Formats: sequence, C-alpha cells, structure tokens
Amino acid sequence: MNLFQKRKIVNRLMCSLAFLCAFLALVPLLSIFGYVVSKGITSVNLDFFIHLPKPVGEPGGGMGNAIVGSLILIGLSCLWAIPVGIWGGVYLSEFGNNKLGTVVRFTADVLNGVPSIVIGVFAYTLFVLPMKSFSAISGGFALGIIMIPTIMRTTEEMLILVPRTIREAALALGISQFRTTVSIVLKTALPGIMTGILLAIARIAGETAPLLFTALGNRFWQHGLTQPIAALPLQIFAYAISPFDDWHRQAWAGALVLIVMVFLMSFISRFVIARRYKFLRSR
Amino acid sequence: MKEEIIVSNLNAYFGSVQALKDINISIQEKMVTAIIGPSGCGKSTFIRCINRLHEVVPHAKVSGKILLDGKDIYSAEIDPMDIRRKVGMVFQKPNPFPALSIYDNVAAGLKLNGITKRDHLDEIVEKTLKMAALWDEVKDKLNSSGISLSGGQQQRLCIARALAVKPEVILFDEPASALDPISTAKIEELIADLKKNYTIVIVTHNMQQAARISDYTGFFFLGELVEFSETSNIFTNPKDKKTEDYVTGRFG
Amino acid sequence: MKIKFVDSGFKKATTLIALFVVALTLFLVYDMATNSLPSIQKLGARFLFTSTWDPVKEDFGALPFIYGTIVSSFLALLIATPVSLGIAIYLAELAPQFIRQPLSFLVELLAAIPSVVYGLWGIYGLAPFLRETIQPFLARYLGFLPIFKGEFYGVSMFTAGIILSIMIIPTISSVSREVFLAVPSSQREAALALGATSWEKIRLAVLGYSRSGVLGAVILGLGRAVGETMAVTMVIGNRPEISASLFAPSYTMASVIANEFTEATSNLYISSLIEIGLVLFFVTLLVNIAARVLIWKVTNKVEGGIRE
Repeated sequence: MNLFQKRKIVNRLMCSLAFLCAFLALVPLLSIFGYVVSKGITSVNLDFFIHLPKPVGEPGGGMGNAIVGSLILIGLSCLWAIPVGIWGGVYLSEFGNNKLGTVVRFTADVLNGVPSIVIGVFAYTLFVLPMKSFSAISGGFALGIIMIPTIMRTTEEMLILVPRTIREAALALGISQFRTTVSIVLKTALPGIMTGILLAIARIAGETAPLLFTALGNRFWQHGLTQPIAALPLQIFAYAISPFDDWHRQAWAGALVLIVMVFLMSFISRFVIARRYKFLRSR
Repeated sequence: MKEEIIVSNLNAYFGSVQALKDINISIQEKMVTAIIGPSGCGKSTFIRCINRLHEVVPHAKVSGKILLDGKDIYSAEIDPMDIRRKVGMVFQKPNPFPALSIYDNVAAGLKLNGITKRDHLDEIVEKTLKMAALWDEVKDKLNSSGISLSGGQQQRLCIARALAVKPEVILFDEPASALDPISTAKIEELIADLKKNYTIVIVTHNMQQAARISDYTGFFFLGELVEFSETSNIFTNPKDKKTEDYVTGRFG
Repeated sequence: MKIKFVDSGFKKATTLIALFVVALTLFLVYDMATNSLPSIQKLGARFLFTSTWDPVKEDFGALPFIYGTIVSSFLALLIATPVSLGIAIYLAELAPQFIRQPLSFLVELLAAIPSVVYGLWGIYGLAPFLRETIQPFLARYLGFLPIFKGEFYGVSMFTAGIILSIMIIPTISSVSREVFLAVPSSQREAALALGATSWEKIRLAVLGYSRSGVLGAVILGLGRAVGETMAVTMVIGNRPEISASLFAPSYTMASVIANEFTEATSNLYISSLIEIGLVLFFVTLLVNIAARVLIWKVTNKVEGGIRE
C-alpha cells in the first residue's frame, strides 16, 4: 500500500471517529430522557401537582408544595437579580469602557464561575445565621447571585448591538441620556435581554446545591418567606437518596416536570424570542 | 511550445449564481499567464478551479473540463488531493501556519508526502528558501515562528512552502496586493525567475504588473473570457472594445 | 440643565449598581475567609494535608476531599476531552450544513439538564449499568491494575468520573467549536493547496492554530467539574477515604459541604467545611482565569499577515 492510500485510510478513520464522538454524546442524552420519561410519566398526574408529600412510608401524595416553592424562589431571586443585572449591564455598555468597567466585567466572570455550593454557604452566613432560621429569602438571595452575571453579560451584549446612530439621533433631539437608554435603547434590545433572563431562570430552576442550607426544604405549604421552603430540585434529591421505592417513583416524576420546565424555557428563549429579532443576534 | 493546461467549457457556480461562463483557454507551459479584469469578474474563481479549491466552498459547483498534462482533473478517478499537490497556490494575504516555525512551514507539505528524513528535509528547505529569495534573511532563525517575519517575507515563505512539494504549476492570486512596493518588486523578480521551471498563472488587478511580468494575458469580464492573447497584443492592440476600455483605464 | 442633572444621576446610579456587584463578590471572599478563621487558626496548614476526617473527635483533614476532587475531575477530563474535540471537529469542519444546527442543539441540551437529574439517572441508570456491564469487563481484563481492583457497588469514583465527563462535554465542545470557527479560512486553504486530506487539513491548519484556545476550553471544563456538586454527591459514595482503586467510593470538596453542612454541630466542624469551600473557591478562580486567558489569546489573534 503506498503512502497515498495510507493517508486516505487515516483520513477516513479520523473523520469517522469524529462523527462517532458526535453521536456518542447523544447516547447519555437519550438514556436520561428515556429513563425520566418512562419512569416518571405514569406518576405525573393531577395529584402530583396539587398534593403535599405524605408521611414516610405512606404511598401517594405529591410535590405540589415543591413546585410552588420553586416558583416562589424564582420570583424572589428575579425580584432583585433582574434589576441589578440589567442596570449593571447598562453601566457596562454605556459607561463601562474604562478600567472600572474591566474590573466589573472580570468580577462578573469570577462570580459566574463560583461553584453554586459556595454561594449557598455565603447566603447561609449572610441570612440564615443572623435570622437564626432557614428561609425562602436566603434561598432567593443565593439563586439571585447565580443569575446576575448571566443577565449582566447578556444585557451588555444586546445593548452594544444597538447601533450608535440610534443613540445619537435621540440625543440630537435633546432627549437625556437616561431617557434615551431606557425608552429607546433598552426597548430595542429587550427581546435579547429577555432571552438572557429566561436562560438565567432556566439555570437556577434546576439548582439544588445553593438551596441545601438556605431554603432547606419543607413538607408543607409555604407560610411565609422567613420559613424554610420546599423546592422541586431539593425534593427530587431528598426522594432520590431515600430508601423508599414510592419516593423514587415520585423523584422521577419530579425530574420529568423539572426537565420539561427547564427545556421549555431554554427552547422559548433560544428559538422564539431570539429568532423573531434575528438582526439583534450576534451569532 | 506545449500547452500545459487546456480549459474547455468551464462553468462555475456559487449556489445558483454563475461566476464563470463557458471559459475556454490554454495555458502555455513554463510561461507566465496573467489574468486581469475588474473586481468580481471571476479571476480568482477561475484559478481556484484549476487547483480544485473552488468546490470546497459550500454549494459551489463546477462543470466542464480542465486538462492538465492531458488528463482531465475533474474526472471521477482523480482525487483532488493529487491535483492540489501538482498545482500549487500562493494567496492574496500571506498565510503561513502560525503554530509552525519557518522551517516547519516550508517542510509542511513535504512531511505530508512522507518525506521525514532530516537531512533530506534540510536540503529541500534550503533549496526552496533560496529559490524564494528568502534564505539569506532567515537562515539563522529557521526555528522562529512563521509569523515573526514581515509581510513581504511571509509571502516569500508561502512561495517557498508551495515550491517545496515540487508542483508543475503555480497559481498566484494577487500575491502582492497586500504588500508594499519594494516587496512587490521582489515578488515580481521572483516570478520572472520561477517561470524557467514552472508554469505560472497570476491573477492581478494591477495592469502594469501584468504588462511587466507576463507573457500571455487573459481579460475577464463578468464571468466571461473576453480576450486572450500575448501580453503585448492585449495592451497595445486589443481586439475587443471592452478590453481596450479596461486597459486604457476607462473603467476598472 | 435638568437633563444634566438627570443624566449624572443616571450615571451615578448605574455605576453604584455595578460597584455593588464587585462589592458583593469581595464580600463573599471576605465572609468565607472570616468564617474559616476558627479552623485555619486551630488546624493550620496541615488541614490540607491530613486525611483524617473525624467530626466526633473534632479532627479535620481535607486531604480525602482534595484527592477526590482532583481524581474525579481528571478522570472526567480524560474521557471528555477526546470526545469533545471529536464533536467540535465534526461540527465545525466535517458535518454537512443541515446537521450542524440540530446536532449542536442536542449537545447543548446535555448542558441544560439539571445536576440533580443527572444524579438521579446516575444512581438508578448509570451505576447499575456499570456494575453489570463495564465493571466486570474491566475487572476481568485489567483487574491486575490497582485502579481497577476491589469490590464495586455502583457508587464510586469511577461512576462519578463518568457522570462528570458527560456533564462537561458540552462546555469543552462548544468553546472548542467557537475557537475552531475563529481560525481564518485562508489557513485551511493553505493546507488544502499543499494537497492535504480533510484530516490533515484539520490537523495542520485548525488544531495547530487553535492550540491554546482548545487548552482553554479543556481547562474551563475542569473548572466546571471541580465545582459540580449534586450529581457527584449522589454517585460517589461519600466516604472520606483515599483509595488507589477507582471502584472504591470517594468524596469531593463540594460533596462534603453539601452532605455534612446541615449536620455540622460544632463551630470547628462548620468552620472546617467553610474553609473547604474557600479552597474550592480559589481553585475554581485560578482555573477559570487560566482558561479565559488562553481562550482570549486565540479569538483575538492577529492573523499571520502584514506587520510592517
């Protein structure tokens, strides 16, 4: 066999290998999907959504409080993280072309890379210790920290995409920079920013670690934000590692609901919002 | 005089856009053939059909025949790889491999072709760098990165790299358009020298350059070969009015 | 005049919020450090090198967790890196246009799956599979190696390493793919013009050019693996012991915090856990900075060209 043929064989081999890797990655994806759907679908019924967990050993019950709890936590974190993230992003795009801007961007990157369990510890020391109680507030704080870097980065990127000429046209009409940014620039970039926010929410919806010792979990309906609160990922975790088969079944159901929630949000943000405003996307 | 490359009924497309319309042309062996014409006339597309680089672009298509030494390069049994080794190319912007040293850049094509013995490589690297008029400037720093050189030097490095695999034809796609006048002059000198041993096709938007260094010239316009003749004829006695308008600068 | 007032207020307000983010991060570090003080003062530097973890006797050493984190992460890298590169190469260089979008979307889906769901699948799907299929195979043919010795019950370093590798594949492959797309097409054409095959073109023009970027992608994946908590906690066995075998259970820094924080009774116990969190923070910080620097180098590279 001459060199020419050998090179062609090596070429075939390596290219096939690359192809194989790509489809190899789909194997766990399909497996996880398969397990979650097959083991969870039969347990996802109305009971699951509206009932509280039953005491240990008793079959039945649901994760109604966990689902509501997750929604409350998401609401709390959005309450403070969205404004901070958006205005922080506004600072970076409108005023941040200097040393301070670099520091802020670097910090946001650092924050983004902090393991979520460490953020949970931070929230614990800030809220749980002084309040002497686990609470929804501490959980919302922890999840908010995770959201901020994503929202800031997306807001900055989307604002930068709005052409300078639009800002200049507004300023030339005598409109203040504040008004320009808020009423015109932000509004133009809004779809892209919403994409970022949705993606951030999708991320925190599945987070468990930062809630382990902030929200803690709760087997009952919520009675206030200063009490421990249930959350879907927390409940899934607790049930998964328990020795009860019935709880395992419910864990799969919870996982199915969680995955559907997260995927729906990612799907909506990626395709629906972003596609409608394709001209604003940098890709 | 032998005809090295015979192009018949060549049509080239980018998707549904036709870039070349029914080109028929013969390139003479060991001569410099210049391809001139205004922007977008298909000059680059044309030479990229000769080394089968055009088809690499997504949705690109080629039809027609190109005979290289009597064999159609587009026939089904021929591997494009083989053609590209025989027909070398120097690009508009110098593109040495940044991760490789000067030595390794020149040797890159050789190593692909199985030449790995050190002294053999040394010999060819030195020979081609001398041919590219670059040896004296880099002989003491063969191990430094390919992009540590100036623009003109990088382009000569790319020429040496192309020469190393011993092609029969060398295609130049506006090789000096990104370079300063001194580097340009060096490259033109080089081409005049190279034609003793290689068939050369050069695309250029610089008419004076074409007049200076080429033996034959083809004028392309909107994807068609309008006129092809000895260089002196094209510039002093063009037959087609469009050719005359172009070379006298009435449009460009 | 009113506009000037409004605008300077606007600028000040947004600056304040940006500074708040910085302050928050700094405070996080300060807070963790302060809360680690009790254990730093009592146990000192040998905390990082001792392998006893005895909450009852109040003797704490973080070595088992550092070991567990390092080994599980590197096992994950070992598996994920070639697969991710294969994916990135396929998607960036070889796949036909109509496959690219859907396939890359599917790979990204792997990143969207919450960690706790990975863990659930790990316990009841992956671990039994490994126990019944892969482990007997490895034990039979490679059992003489110390890393494959011993009993296997499903939860182990091995399972954790595999699950981690799946979780970091999207990270490494998507960043690598971006790096590959940043390679100018003239590089690829230069390789083709020398008569290279597709693979040789990728090797010469794409991989060579983007070396540091790919390294950055891999390091970014390492950063993700080090900080991963839930999936690892659910499949690694949570035993603070250092063992040569991959089949033995283990414990990582993130896992011990997740598992024992709410049970920690004494001040020293909690402080030790927080100190582990501090170490975890700095490790991920360094790893992520290194990764960003390497990636930035490639995506901002000046093309080989005119420098005069």
